[in-house]
Amino acid sequence: AMAWRAAPRAAARLLLGRRGIASCIDPSVGLTEDQKEFQKVALDFAAKEMAPYMAEWDEKEIFPVETMRKAARLGFGGIYVKPDVGGSGLSRLDTSIIFEALSTGCTSTTAYISIHNMCVWMIDTFGNEEQRRRFCPSLCSMEKFASYCLTEPGSGSDAASLLTSAQRKGDTYVLNGSKAFISGGGDTDVYVVMCRTGGPGPKGISCLVLEKGMPGLSFGKKEKKVGWNSQPTRAVIFEDCIVPVGNRLGAEGQGFSIAMQGLNGGRINIASCSLGAAHACVLLAQEHLTVRKQFGEPLANNQYLQFRLAEMATRLVAARLMVRNAARALQDSREDAAVLCSMAKLFATDECFGICNQALQMHGGYGYLKDYAVQQFVRDIRVHQILEGTNEVMRMIVARNLLQG
Amino acid sequence: QAIDDDCNQTGQLLAAMLDWPQGTFVSRVELGAGSVRVEREVDGGLETLRLQLPAVLTADLRLNEPRYATLPNIMKAKKKPLEVIPASELGVSGGSPRLKVLQVQEPPARAGGQKVEDVATLVEKLRHAGRI
Repeated sequence: AMAWRAAPRAAARLLLGRRGIASCIDPSVGLTEDQKEFQKVALDFAAKEMAPYMAEWDEKEIFPVETMRKAARLGFGGIYVKPDVGGSGLSRLDTSIIFEALSTGCTSTTAYISIHNMCVWMIDTFGNEEQRRRFCPSLCSMEKFASYCLTEPGSGSDAASLLTSAQRKGDTYVLNGSKAFISGGGDTDVYVVMCRTGGPGPKGISCLVLEKGMPGLSFGKKEKKVGWNSQPTRAVIFEDCIVPVGNRLGAEGQGFSIAMQGLNGGRINIASCSLGAAHACVLLAQEHLTVRKQFGEPLANNQYLQFRLAEMATRLVAARLMVRNAARALQDSREDAAVLCSMAKLFATDECFGICNQALQMHGGYGYLKDYAVQQFVRDIRVHQILEGTNEVMRMIVARNLLQG
Repeated sequence: QAIDDDCNQTGQLLAAMLDWPQGTFVSRVELGAGSVRVEREVDGGLETLRLQLPAVLTADLRLNEPRYATLPNIMKAKKKPLEVIPASELGVSGGSPRLKVLQVQEPPARAGGQKVEDVATLVEKLRHAGRI
């Protein structure tokens, strides 16, 4: 029984396409042997544990805790967190490759996993030994989940104008204020909160780690969203919420810097999630063009559609190169890392949305049905152009680099 | 199916040398007291056998799902020591291969068929070709 030949692994199919030939959009090109292994595990996991459920998670708004814990058992809970507290100790490029691969299975869930990773990294990097040991191990295993709390109803792009106050009282801070649009809010256990301990502007902001159950910490209603439905989004409310001083990461006034450094990696991660969605959509479009016939022939015989598919593939590869280039700069601590991360996030999220949207168009009426995955990728990555710094803010950062240098 | 020559012999040979029962292409295993019940993937479907233990089993891909490699294990894999033990150190004689490849050739190119007038001619031609 030659059964082994009859069942190509889902991962191989994703990499090699329909005819088993390495294609121009192969995401394993240029990777080390180890990176190819990470990518294979992530693609297999995405195909088996996520893709079959992504529609259900979206429709029923399920936060797939058990699936994420399965991912954490493979090391995906703290990918670039140090191993001594349970992380996998991998590089930013390794991380990008992994999130890109996972995203082909469910973009929304992968995006949450990346936010969780960002929070654990912040505690790992800026926490003292006691904080690292207290928080990181259970976060890396995803026994506990984390949320990143920066945005407020009155401060989104103008993040440094945040108002949540943290008044020092003895060996505690008393927090008052609220955060908006918090991914995981209400369901997660650990909250990394940027709040004002000092004067106005970025230098008055500190970073505190809060835990669900602390008195004075409550949550708003679960938001109804266009996409990202496998993660709950809620306001986080502080009413005389008491937090021990021992929960502050780094020094008073260091919070904004910590938040921004977290976001550099976060931007690469979100961009990587967009790459995975776009790759999946190019394959879906390729399949559809080959199968669907109109006017007596497959859609793929039409030069217009051939050209559009070629453009999609070209833009995907360009976006991927931008993201991986930024990841390398960040892991090498290059001076231009932050601006490259902004450029990559801007370019990749915009291009990939265009790719997914074009793929939907190619599906015709079927593209608009929830039975077909392409619409979910479109809905899920639309928000990537908005959060972790809007693409307008990304332009601000790049312009500042060019004009104030 | 050995990964070098794909000959589908290793498990069978081992069982014969040990004089143990064999269950090959196994897709399901149920251990009992002193025996094992196996389901085999065969061309016609599934065959169920009970074998006395000890027995030799060979696994079909449907027997189980491979685990995912974890990220830390992937990184450790490169650093694992690879110990090479010559067969002579294990007291195994005749370790050199006993199979010699005499020839490798493509199957004959497909020749055109023939149309015949009636059944009698068809039977006669098949007989002539040694097919019946």
